[in-house]
Amino acid sequence: MSGLSSMITSGNGAGLIWIMIIIPVILAFLTLIIPKTAYIGRAIALLVGVIFNFIAAIAVFSTQEITMLLPWANFEMNLAFRIYNFSGFIVLAISVFALLIAIYSVAFMRNKNESGQVFFFYLLTVALANGAVLANNFVIMLFFWEALLVTLFGFLIINQKKNVKTAVKALVLSGTADLLLMLGIALTVYQAGTLSMDAIVDLPISGIGVAGYICLMLGAIGKAGSMPFHSWIPDAANDAPLPFMPLLPGSMEKLLGIYLLVRVSYNFYNLQPETGVSIAVMTIGAVTIILAVAMALIQKDMKRLLAYHAISQVGYMILGIGTALPVGLIGGLYHMINNALYKSCLFLTAGSIEHRTGTTDLRKIGGLAKVMPVTAVCFIIAALSIAGVPPFNGFFSKELIFDAALESGWIFYAAALLGAFMTAASFLKMGHAAFFGKENAPADAVKKESPPAMQLPMIILAAGCIIFGVCNFIPVKLIFQPMFADIVGSHNFAGWPHSATLVLISCIVLLIAVLNHIYGVKKTGQGLGAVDHIHYAPVLHSIYNGAEKRYFDPYEWLMIVVKIYAYISFGIDRAINWIYDVLLVKIVSFVSARLRMANNGSPARYMVWSFSGVAFIVVLFIALM
Amino acid sequence: MEGQGIIFICIFVPLIGAFLLPIIGRFMPRLRNILALLFVLTAFISAAIALPQALSGTPILWQMELPLGFTMGFLADGLAVFMAMTSSLVASIIVFYSFGYIEHYPNQNEYYMMVVLFIGSMMGLVFSTNLLLIYLFWEISAVCCWRLIGFYRGKDIVLRADKAFLVTVGGALLMLIGFISIYVQTGTFNLLDMQGNAISNAAMVLILFGILSKSATLPLHTWLPDAGVAPSPVTSLLHAAVLVKIGVYVYARLFLVNFQLDAVWETAVPVIAGVSALVSAGAAMIETDIKRIIAYSTISQLGFIFLGLSCGTMVGAAGGLLYILMHSLAKGGLFLCAGIVEHSTHTKDINKMGGLAKCLPITAVAFACCAFSVMGIPPFGGFFAKFMVINGAATSASPWVSVIFIIGAVMTIIYLLRVFIKVFFGEITHPDIKEGSWEMVSSVSILAALSLLGGIFINLPSYVTTFIIESLGRW
Repeated sequence: MSGLSSMITSGNGAGLIWIMIIIPVILAFLTLIIPKTAYIGRAIALLVGVIFNFIAAIAVFSTQEITMLLPWANFEMNLAFRIYNFSGFIVLAISVFALLIAIYSVAFMRNKNESGQVFFFYLLTVALANGAVLANNFVIMLFFWEALLVTLFGFLIINQKKNVKTAVKALVLSGTADLLLMLGIALTVYQAGTLSMDAIVDLPISGIGVAGYICLMLGAIGKAGSMPFHSWIPDAANDAPLPFMPLLPGSMEKLLGIYLLVRVSYNFYNLQPETGVSIAVMTIGAVTIILAVAMALIQKDMKRLLAYHAISQVGYMILGIGTALPVGLIGGLYHMINNALYKSCLFLTAGSIEHRTGTTDLRKIGGLAKVMPVTAVCFIIAALSIAGVPPFNGFFSKELIFDAALESGWIFYAAALLGAFMTAASFLKMGHAAFFGKENAPADAVKKESPPAMQLPMIILAAGCIIFGVCNFIPVKLIFQPMFADIVGSHNFAGWPHSATLVLISCIVLLIAVLNHIYGVKKTGQGLGAVDHIHYAPVLHSIYNGAEKRYFDPYEWLMIVVKIYAYISFGIDRAINWIYDVLLVKIVSFVSARLRMANNGSPARYMVWSFSGVAFIVVLFIALM
Repeated sequence: MEGQGIIFICIFVPLIGAFLLPIIGRFMPRLRNILALLFVLTAFISAAIALPQALSGTPILWQMELPLGFTMGFLADGLAVFMAMTSSLVASIIVFYSFGYIEHYPNQNEYYMMVVLFIGSMMGLVFSTNLLLIYLFWEISAVCCWRLIGFYRGKDIVLRADKAFLVTVGGALLMLIGFISIYVQTGTFNLLDMQGNAISNAAMVLILFGILSKSATLPLHTWLPDAGVAPSPVTSLLHAAVLVKIGVYVYARLFLVNFQLDAVWETAVPVIAGVSALVSAGAAMIETDIKRIIAYSTISQLGFIFLGLSCGTMVGAAGGLLYILMHSLAKGGLFLCAGIVEHSTHTKDINKMGGLAKCLPITAVAFACCAFSVMGIPPFGGFFAKFMVINGAATSASPWVSVIFIIGAVMTIIYLLRVFIKVFFGEITHPDIKEGSWEMVSSVSILAALSLLGGIFINLPSYVTTFIIESLGRW
């Protein structure tokens, strides 16, 4: 109540922040109100929202630093926002992906009943993500960040009126991560004595700081979809409406999660190389890379395969950032934006195939390059990027991360290389199976290229993969290095990688992947079987079997623990209830039965009762006197 | 002092009005219903009128000297007015909902009388400045609760009503002994005369028995799930507006405002609350009766409130008060939604329900909003309350307690999702049921909307709760 009118801002254009949050929310409700028959109205509302957001984001990115403080609730829970180069860049990146995927979705969702709900959650997600990135107060950040759970849950129940297991799984896993974030914020705020994010600088990671850092870090990587918070993503690939995968696990969640991880590790806390915490973070990254990509290798469905890559790639970013070296930080950020480009492009190509053939099951499709040339070319560019082939963008960012990993320990470098091998192998398999070989498609498939509105976003994203690779000075030297000038110093990581040896090793790994592919195709006679010799190798076979049966799914483990725990506590509860319902009743009836026996109606007995009572009182009085 | 009349209106309009309702109801049932709502609304409005003065720092006080050195009095300070407004607001919505829910059952005269008397005793309790007066209103509420739980009169139902009565009254008697020992120590029952006194641990234990039995905390909790046999508006009233909130209110009144506690309680009470929160959350995952699940959820959430109030930090205490408000709104909504579901499907077993979102869309959305608020997910109000409580616990003398509650919060998500999904999604079991009456549907919509607005406009309740906590001058 106090001070509602006193808004403190510095710099111009604080209104931008409101535009980025409120306009999408208003348009979101508009899409919900517009009836199904007026699809064009829904589409316009969505497009207006994302275009407006894009323009505002450009304005945000090009302004100087702006801070805004609007006193709101007590205990320093102020509506505080801050635009500066890092948050401005993330907001811009989100708006670009939101715009491109929206154009694509408008074409894709036509004639689908759920379009209103999809667009509603789409715009809401954009607004909340903007708020989470721009917030300069921990509570406000958490407010927007956790509210994304609602849209996540909403997206996942739209298609699944009958089977909502994935939505529950996503909400439980992400909710756990967010609650850890809440705890981390509480511990951090306790140490720093303020909720204002820009006032928390370089806390030491020691004592309670270790707990604070780890909780914040887990919250951040949980949003990014790292292990152990990952297992809903492959399930969502099959169950969610199409725009969901490129928008959230494909790009936005990575941007948000890595944004927070970087801020936690380099702003709020001071992560030092070769400390236990740094090694822990790198280990999470390395494990995520290998396990997720190993699962991707054997998938037979395009979207599910890509979903595992969405998990695996975040491992590279965490590994790079976890090294706490300048090269790792820049590599991780660069990989974040590269991954968003090629991963959303890949999801869109899979959607393009689904649009025309009605399936993304690699066993049912094949040789589509002829009928869908644009989709095929975009896929190939994005696949080469994710596989780390020069001169596409993924190559350069991976090299930076390799560099950082090797400096931090050869085991991390080896893990990253193994991941690179499996990434390349799985994309050779998927590309081969979907676009080359014998032509194959379901009988009801429409054998032509997707409409231009779906082609355009794919082409732009694929072009982005090339530009950010060939002209890597744009993201590295012009954007990321100035943001972290105090950490990077005079280093320059743009241009061709410094170490020729590392590049050579990477190329050898790629070559091995190609040879492996040729061997596998020869052996089974089809592109889809290219990695069967790995899948069905003696020991791996049983491990893969277990993994496919979800024996290693942390969510399943959590649910087992929860179930056992629930039965134990239910037992405790019933035992306590037994005391009330049975034991007490028994005691009372036992005692009253005894008392009843004493009152048997005999006058003599009552006389004895009376006299002994009087005698007792008399004795008591005498004793007291 | 000016304005004492407003307290009397707030307390005695429902308290005395309740006895008029059965008489009027004999002739004009419709008028009785409207009057019942009016009496409760009067309490809300008069509490709201008292709010500015309560927040001005010079609260309204009325006191009377009685023979033998006793005094009695009413004080409308921030805490009392906040609690009175929360209770009477939710209670008004519940009474409105009852118009639709209860109209086909016998004994409506008694029903409305007991509900309004219940609210009246709550109003009396929150404004009392005298321990004996608190005890008196406390027991009136126990009688109302006993009659209302046994409303359907079945044999088993009456037994459960007896159980609720016996457990809460048993606790209250122990509390009374505690009050008397305070009297022996200080020579007065008047709270205002003993502010800032230290209190013996023995008295604390006795009083805690009363509070924990009323606020259904382990191991005195099992009557609360059993009380689910009552009509849904009654369970809603017990969980959200009146009964279980009496315990936490008295805790705040005695141990935040009045007495100094031994430091050991800053750890002991959070631990009791934590165990209670965890065990009941586990039980909620096994239960299959929708109302029992929500009841266990109340026990679990009461743990969070106790944690906030008892952890000894300012932000925690303010969060605990905020939690009382947000939990009342959301939990009231959940029970009223459960009432619509029960009314439509004639079952309480969640395994026999599924896909109800198709036939009960508004109820489903309202249930989701209230469930999200209880889970502490923004933009709903429960988020801020949960954050402040966790923040308070993490900065208290024993920060590890906050980990227990984070686990409790994860389990809250799991069990509330379980019931939401089972009831509203999956195979459609009841293809041709209809939404509840308009009174019922609008009541749950209002509560869901209030949960949302409470989150977005957090500044208003936060201002009040912070004022209350700051004016204590403890920190």
